[in-house]
Amino acid sequence: MNLTAVRANRKKLLIMTCLVLLCAAAYLLVEVQFDNARLFQYAMKIRTPKLIVMLITAFAIGGASIVFQSIINNTIVTPCLLGMNSLYTLIHTAVVFFAGSSSVIAASANLSFAVDVVLMGITATLIYSWIFKKTRHNVLYVLLVGTVLTSFFSSIQTTLTRVMDPNEYDSLLNTLVASFSNINSEIILFVLLLLGLIVFALRKELALLDVLTLGKEQAINLGVDYDRCIRRLLLGVTLCIAVATAMVGPISFLGLIIANLSRQLLKTYRHSQLILGSALFGMIVLVGGQLIVEHVYSYAVPVSVFITVGGGLYFLYLLLTRKKV
Amino acid sequence: MQVTELTKRYDGKTVVDCVSFSIPKGKVISLIGPNGAGKSTVMGMISRLIAHDSGLVDFEGKDIGKWKSRELSKRLAILTQTNNIQMKLTVRELVTFGRFPYSGSRVTPEDQKIIDRAIAYMELEEFQDQFIDELSGGQRQRALIAMVIAQDTEYVLLDEPTNNLDIYHATNMMKIVRRLCDELGKTVILVLHEINYAAFYSDYICAFKDGKIAKFGTVKEVMTKENLSQIYQVDFELLDIQGKPLSIYY
Repeated sequence: MNLTAVRANRKKLLIMTCLVLLCAAAYLLVEVQFDNARLFQYAMKIRTPKLIVMLITAFAIGGASIVFQSIINNTIVTPCLLGMNSLYTLIHTAVVFFAGSSSVIAASANLSFAVDVVLMGITATLIYSWIFKKTRHNVLYVLLVGTVLTSFFSSIQTTLTRVMDPNEYDSLLNTLVASFSNINSEIILFVLLLLGLIVFALRKELALLDVLTLGKEQAINLGVDYDRCIRRLLLGVTLCIAVATAMVGPISFLGLIIANLSRQLLKTYRHSQLILGSALFGMIVLVGGQLIVEHVYSYAVPVSVFITVGGGLYFLYLLLTRKKV
Repeated sequence: MQVTELTKRYDGKTVVDCVSFSIPKGKVISLIGPNGAGKSTVMGMISRLIAHDSGLVDFEGKDIGKWKSRELSKRLAILTQTNNIQMKLTVRELVTFGRFPYSGSRVTPEDQKIIDRAIAYMELEEFQDQFIDELSGGQRQRALIAMVIAQDTEYVLLDEPTNNLDIYHATNMMKIVRRLCDELGKTVILVLHEINYAAFYSDYICAFKDGKIAKFGTVKEVMTKENLSQIYQVDFELLDIQGKPLSIYY
């Protein structure tokens, strides 16, 4: 019975872990000159932080997407569809616009990251918790409001860039495309610490996820403090997305792809497995994608473009093939 | 369970108005009444799913809001009409959730025995490894009841359990309700639309009208021509079948 399913899923997850390790090894070692120690070291110095950043991003976005879907009880919604990405783009543009690209806030990587995370964390939490409360977690309304917000944020952002100095805009544009390079180790450490804290603070709520997916009434019936639990989890999701986006830039559809692939592959309600699967898929997509971008397309196309195109198609596929509930 | 002057307002409109009653233990109590009479809202309030504006729901000597949710879920189970579970879940896994208030996610061998018994009681053995979204409406309803049985509570609250079921499955559901009370000794409170089911299978009937209790008493006391015509505003005839007052309305 379900024990065999659990075991089968463990096997699948193990295979995926191997794939991730394979991708990671390939990413680190492809076209590296082993005979020259200094060149080898240089390559490692460039590639290791990038690899770590990709792994962290995959975990943050993958985990947050699964949790978000389970809270809202719908598997085609992800935080990105609610306009969190355009919110980030807007905030980042606004910071550069008002402070100037040569100011301390925009020029120092650490500071600019901190400002983005704080602003994004606060505004996203305020806006989205208000929306969820107002619409009483009605998925259709939330999606609709999210779509409107996406264009709302983008319009303001476009307006800002139009009045902006062209040189400033040029330097801004580079930071608005998702990229895994040029992230210093202090930020990586800080992000790791922050994610660790979020997971630790939410450990009780995360354990309740399985019950939450039975729906509000059932969760309360089984003794869960529903409202508090949802509030805390949403806050955690928002923070995770904010951190990941502020670190690498907006990646549309990544969460949608990996969360749904994980659900399709594992076909379970156990969130420990779903979250792990989603994170592993994210790692394969990001590291594998980056590997192809760097060595096949020689950096001509950023990996986020592939993810957005592929993700868009996958989203359509999900919408069209979804069984009627 | 003792309910005193329970009131609920939505946007200034009073849907439940100063309702007081007490629930006899170990009986089947049906809440009936026309649409919008407030019976489902009362059900929501006595099961803590809906917060009440004023009044008191005294459950085993303590206000229902003061109970720890986890403790309460070992004493009182509620099954609502809305059960759209999106997860891929087998019947057995669903029933296993009934043990959550006791063991969390770690299911003990003792729990497994209780789950087995609940599944057997609902005659779901052959379906236990099927996904619930592959079941028919009647089977899914039975699976949910099995979960409630596994939850092992003194009180079971069912909000329109016969909704969307055909005559065969609805009647079976009512027989199950009776067995929950007679064999397992539970107090069952249910919201019903079909008054004849209420009359045939319950011990007490609580009839609502316009947010107030129109009549509360044993089946024989409530099921009279005058009471029913007054509550539903249609003409009734009563028949005596197997000693129970059943109604015909036209």
